[in-house]
Amino acid sequence: MHQAATTAAGLGRPNLPVAVVPGHVDTQELSELERNVREITVPAVVANLTARPGDAKRPEEPGRREIVASGSFEEINARFLAERWSDGLPIIPPTHAAVEAFLAHTIFDADKVLGVVLPDNREVTVWSIAVNGVMAGCRPEYMPVLVALGRCMADPNYGVEHSGNTPGADTLITINGPIAAELGFNCEQGVLRDGFQANTSVGRFWRLMLRNIAGFLPHETDKATFGNTWRVAIAENETVLETIDWPNFAGAFGFERGDDVVSVSRYTGGGVVTSVYGQQAEHMVDYLADAIVSQTSWELVFTIGISRETYRPLLLLSPILAETIAASGWTKAQLQQALFDRARIPASRFEDYLGHWTNLVPGRRRLVDFVNTKKADRRFAESTDPERMVPIVGQPDHLLIGVAGDPLRTNAYVFAHNGMLGFPVAHRVER
Amino acid sequence: MSDAYEVVWPRSSQAVELQDLADRPDSLDGRTVAFLWDYMFRGDEIFPIIAEELKARFPTVEIIDFDQFGTTHGDGEAELVAALPQLLRDRGVDAVVSGMAC
Repeated sequence: MHQAATTAAGLGRPNLPVAVVPGHVDTQELSELERNVREITVPAVVANLTARPGDAKRPEEPGRREIVASGSFEEINARFLAERWSDGLPIIPPTHAAVEAFLAHTIFDADKVLGVVLPDNREVTVWSIAVNGVMAGCRPEYMPVLVALGRCMADPNYGVEHSGNTPGADTLITINGPIAAELGFNCEQGVLRDGFQANTSVGRFWRLMLRNIAGFLPHETDKATFGNTWRVAIAENETVLETIDWPNFAGAFGFERGDDVVSVSRYTGGGVVTSVYGQQAEHMVDYLADAIVSQTSWELVFTIGISRETYRPLLLLSPILAETIAASGWTKAQLQQALFDRARIPASRFEDYLGHWTNLVPGRRRLVDFVNTKKADRRFAESTDPERMVPIVGQPDHLLIGVAGDPLRTNAYVFAHNGMLGFPVAHRVER
Repeated sequence: MSDAYEVVWPRSSQAVELQDLADRPDSLDGRTVAFLWDYMFRGDEIFPIIAEELKARFPTVEIIDFDQFGTTHGDGEAELVAALPQLLRDRGVDAVVSGMAC
């Protein structure tokens, strides 16, 4: 209900009426569900359709440069916590001087609007990026990266409006290009660990933007069942990538090596793949494919069901793994093909995730039904054998690959992906 | 840390004006009600119950079922939402019930 109310407010209709089905519909026997709908939901529907709610009012909001608080560091932080403008950690007070220092590092005017983001329907402006960058503990010289992230957040293909969904997936930011090293982004050991100012503060910046600009607040518009702390941003090991002549992560979006690029994607979770053993790519790929399968379950609704082929799991290889695979003569595309060929599951298991163990795709449809109605590629129903092995993504290049982490550890990491509800997008860093 | 700070607002302007809600009819008799569904959370079981109850209360109400519009979530979501105002006008819809959230 809180989510409905706050989302409606962002759409300019805070008084939009809602009818409730008590409890969670998925756990109710049909008789209980029917009783609830007839006795509680329907009377509310009728009332909502035949009685106009009272007019709504919107509170006055401050202007862009207006001073909204003054006081000590502790007082400012107490106010920001009380207003829910901060995440629970101390923020750097966004004074005019601090914000101007950030603006000095962008080619764009402070008033430039990069887009509008739901659910609050607020403008992503260069000014608002600077303010939240200050608060997050970023350095002023990060500003070109932050602006590019603002473009990512406002990119309709990303789907920021889904950032409060109940699985509670979190964004992973990847930095490519010379700017990553210039700004001190860690790409080696502990790349997913806090402790590096650029990685940590840029990750926090994203979450503060979700809070203050998009408007995602826990217990209201952010309905993550569990959720996580934000993910720190990562950089790829460009030196190793150049040595093995593999395109970097930004290459998946059409960028060239040497371009400064930020990319974002929402991942539902992930896990480490330890001690990958082998001296040849052929020896390693079965384990890596198995790891991708192991991290993937209900997310298959983004390959078939809720959306068609928007599932983009990410395999993060340590440099020594990438170097060993490349030394076998494999390109990144060949690795993707080998993983695609091996990362398969029985069709019956795929169908369990769609509409047996879950009800995410109603109607208890089989993969063959989707193929017959042209909502899935034919490779998902090459026979009707329920134990036939089917892919988990639509195409080999839907298995994204990055290279980072401890250069000499034979470990990898797999991120499961949230499909169209956080689709990978990338934008050039302009400076 | 005892210095005084003067700080700005961390939010930004909303890009939408407050919208007036439509006037409501006293009765749904003779009116057309459209169902919109995101194909989640048992709407295929819930909307038929709502339709049955509305018809019992308002015998001349016309229901346009969700399958006439397609899913409001997933592939094609943005296109459908953009097209909805015209689709609803074309079908003479007076009111909409949209679900299911959870």
